[in-house]
Amino acid sequence: MSASVHAGSSQIVAVEQFASTQTVLGAALAGAALNLRYIGIVASLSDVLAGLPLRTKLLAIHITGDENWALTMAERAKSPDVGSDFLLGSGLVMISVWTASTTAGALVGAVLPDLERFGLGFAFTAAFIAMARGLWRGQSQMLPWLVAAAMTISSVSLGVPQAYAIVAGTLGGLVFLASRRRFERVKP
Amino acid sequence: MTGAHWAVIGVLAIAAFSIRVVGLIAGGRIRASRHAWVLDELPGLIIICLVTSSLAGQPLQTWIAAGAALGVAVFTNHVIATMTVGVLVFAGLAMIGI
Repeated sequence: MSASVHAGSSQIVAVEQFASTQTVLGAALAGAALNLRYIGIVASLSDVLAGLPLRTKLLAIHITGDENWALTMAERAKSPDVGSDFLLGSGLVMISVWTASTTAGALVGAVLPDLERFGLGFAFTAAFIAMARGLWRGQSQMLPWLVAAAMTISSVSLGVPQAYAIVAGTLGGLVFLASRRRFERVKP
Repeated sequence: MTGAHWAVIGVLAIAAFSIRVVGLIAGGRIRASRHAWVLDELPGLIIICLVTSSLAGQPLQTWIAAGAALGVAVFTNHVIATMTVGVLVFAGLAMIGI
């Protein structure tokens, strides 16, 4: 499942839904809907993937995950030479580790201590903070990022699942940017 | 594993991959349009939302560790250094009971 779906939260939700409702389509669609942010993630790879054969593009978008996508974009912001090779290489590493570790987790996870206590889960948050720093271009991003952050936190606080809150926050930031661009165009 | 279990995996795999294909098609169209600026802004916005969604509703320990990680990120712009300090601060605060 990890190799063919490659979307952690979607897998968990689909399994939970199927366990409680026993409906195949409902469980699968509930899981897939959590993955909607990948429309934006893959769209943003347009430049990175330009010029590749379709088969390679399809492989690249399957093995892309949050972490290797963010790392690729952050490194590309520092050096434009970073491109599809970096995305493909990091994606292959990630899907291999993901599949192996979820398999290991299914086999021996129950006997491990609570690794969250030691900050293992926070490592991903810290990594994303570093990658956001890599994508920082200057003060012009401050307000749209604050709008996106505020919308995401508000959505989560209102009980919206994290995956949808991410989509809502991203759209909020884009709407703010579009409004600002329009305002700057009409300003005399 | 029953046939229904395999069906859930198969349908989910197709649906999840289809979403990515939609992104691929959308990216190509947006890049060729007057809205190409969206593609430059999407990575930063999505990453900020990933960070804030994982911090929302979390205890003070997580926010302090995130602040420390942000400080390291600002000064070093280095992923491994930021992760190391962030995790050490998080684990340190857990050890002293914050």
